[in-house]
Amino acid sequence: MLKRSRSVFPTVRRSFFAALVTLAVTMALTFFGEYLNVSTVALIYLLPVIFSSTLWGLGPGLVSGFLAFLAYNYFFLPPYHTFSVHHSQDVVALAVFFVVAVLISQLVGRAKKNLSTAMQREHELARLYEFSVKLEGVDDREGIAKTIASQTLGAFNAKQVEVQVKALAREKAFEVRLPLSGSTQEVKPIAIFPLQTAGRLMGEIRFWRDTGPLNSSEERVFQTFANQGALAIERAALSQERTRAKVLEESDRMKSALLSSVSHELRTPLATIKASVSSLLGGEVEWDTEARKDLMITVDEEIDELNRLVGNLLDMSRIEAGALSPNRQWNDLREIVDSAIYRTRHAIEDYQVEVDIPDDLPLVPVDFMQIERVFINLISNSVKYARSGSRIRFHASVRDSQTLFVQVMNQGPQVPPDHLESIFEKFHRITNAERVTGTGLGLSICKGIIEVHGGRIWGENLPDGFAFDFTLPLSQEGRFPVSIEIESI
Amino acid sequence: MSAEPEILVIDDEPQILRALKTILTAQKFRVITAGRGQDGLALAAAHLPDLVILDLGLPDIDGFEVCARLREWTRVPIIVLSVRESEHDKVRALDQGADDYLVKPFGIEELLARIRVALRHSSQAHGDQDSPIKTGDLVIDLARHVVTRDGSEVKLTATEFKLLAYLVQNAGRVLTHQGILTKIWGFEYMDNVEYLRVFMSQLRKKLENDPKHPQYLISEPGIGYRFYLRE
Repeated sequence: MLKRSRSVFPTVRRSFFAALVTLAVTMALTFFGEYLNVSTVALIYLLPVIFSSTLWGLGPGLVSGFLAFLAYNYFFLPPYHTFSVHHSQDVVALAVFFVVAVLISQLVGRAKKNLSTAMQREHELARLYEFSVKLEGVDDREGIAKTIASQTLGAFNAKQVEVQVKALAREKAFEVRLPLSGSTQEVKPIAIFPLQTAGRLMGEIRFWRDTGPLNSSEERVFQTFANQGALAIERAALSQERTRAKVLEESDRMKSALLSSVSHELRTPLATIKASVSSLLGGEVEWDTEARKDLMITVDEEIDELNRLVGNLLDMSRIEAGALSPNRQWNDLREIVDSAIYRTRHAIEDYQVEVDIPDDLPLVPVDFMQIERVFINLISNSVKYARSGSRIRFHASVRDSQTLFVQVMNQGPQVPPDHLESIFEKFHRITNAERVTGTGLGLSICKGIIEVHGGRIWGENLPDGFAFDFTLPLSQEGRFPVSIEIESI
Repeated sequence: MSAEPEILVIDDEPQILRALKTILTAQKFRVITAGRGQDGLALAAAHLPDLVILDLGLPDIDGFEVCARLREWTRVPIIVLSVRESEHDKVRALDQGADDYLVKPFGIEELLARIRVALRHSSQAHGDQDSPIKTGDLVIDLARHVVTRDGSEVKLTATEFKLLAYLVQNAGRVLTHQGILTKIWGFEYMDNVEYLRVFMSQLRKKLENDPKHPQYLISEPGIGYRFYLRE
């Protein structure tokens, strides 16, 4: 505000006002002068001087002081209406008056200037504080660049701001432009500030505005913005790098866990197959038909297990790579369940399988193979934990016109409540790994598949067992299956 | 057709070739084998086999291409073998003219069943197109537009009949969803699989003894449907 009033009222104009005020006081004094003695008049003349220097600064104060000096001499010191002075006493009074007027002007003017500088500094500090608080809250480079842009846009009354950030290590270069509606400017920016830290150049800020160039105070603040912003960007880049290193390390650890788990899991069925086949080939023992068949069935089952394991590994790597894109089509859930049951028929022949899926269930937009894999993994998990002869039940129902609810229930042991979430994590197993086979991948694959379909999966303890529950959306991109009229014959 | 059917196996893995040759010979088929696509095409032209078993991953030209080149001049049934479990590959192979597919590893029973279906289908196709097709308790007379089940006529709507006729004419072959939709409803309905689901379930209710466990109208999950001829 201060700055603007200074530019609208140039010094000449303000000095003119100071002269006017002094003149007004002189006129008032010529009216009432006869009732006042000369020293009182001198005191009164100090008023316009103080007034002018307080309101308009040192220069106008001095103008007012000089005019007051002249008028006091001219009108109130004998001989009247001349600028000459008779009494030496009056000469002293006049000199003192002039010195006092000048001193007052100077003192008041300086105080005022100090005040305005202090206010300006306070204003700058407030802006910087706000800026650093805003920066504190963001820790990625894009976020920081956006903060720099929005803060400079607001604080400097800009027309357009562009923050360009250079590529660093594996982070790509990018640019943020505000306002969002802004376009590539043809004119040169009125200011370009480098985003420079001690070590390197992180990018630059380009700045356009219509109200003219930055003054020195604004430039100072802008520079500080740029320095702080550069530091924040560097800090973010470093921390992003650190995070990536950590993720790599973690994924490395996971991979070696997976490898050791997988080689163990591959060897178990392979050992069985090798033992069975080599004893059949050996010829030392004459196997009867029944025993041969038993051995061959074992081999067959172990091969299926191996195949399922390889399938799970492939799925896992696809989920990890984010490459599990479901081929969604309108499917009949009942058909998927039947197919999964058929594929696992050997594993579940000793269980009572119940399917409770209503005939009028709407079609679901899912990838048949992937959802079938979910069921196969859930069946395989149920079979691992529930004793043979117990019940495995499939249930599905429409929850709220938008969502399908599916439940695979077994009569296996309950899961401690604090494990209900983590059973869907990779390599998680509640029981001792030696007792139950498997890589611990099955459930995490289920989770990956259900989530990529836009659903949710969780575990639930039931009074007499355990259930896997999941939801699937009934619409695909907001679309439901076309209702089809059955033509008449 | 007194001689034993001849089967051409094209696969680049010697172990698979050896195993299939042993097993199929024991099943009274004559077997010729090729390890490369080009050799396979040459053998097919020279021997005119009754059936081709084709692996999709070949060292020289890929299986899709072999499929397409065979279809340029022969209607010999092609069963595609693949280690890839993606529906996309299966659909592509079927679109290139394959009749059926099997994912490795497969049980030999499964392969033998597919071979029998394919051979029966091809002999059917060579036979009299106008005579009614009998399968289990169904008699389907495409020429007269009459379908009977256990001797009594089954009423079908026009679309249901069109759909059934298309499946029956290609009995044994796997027909893709898109293929059926384009044929029956037209190109613009290619992605409306829900049409197929609804009409297929209508057909099953009318033709199958247990619509939930169909004997004739079989789903190929994620791929399409096929009509099975029963003895």
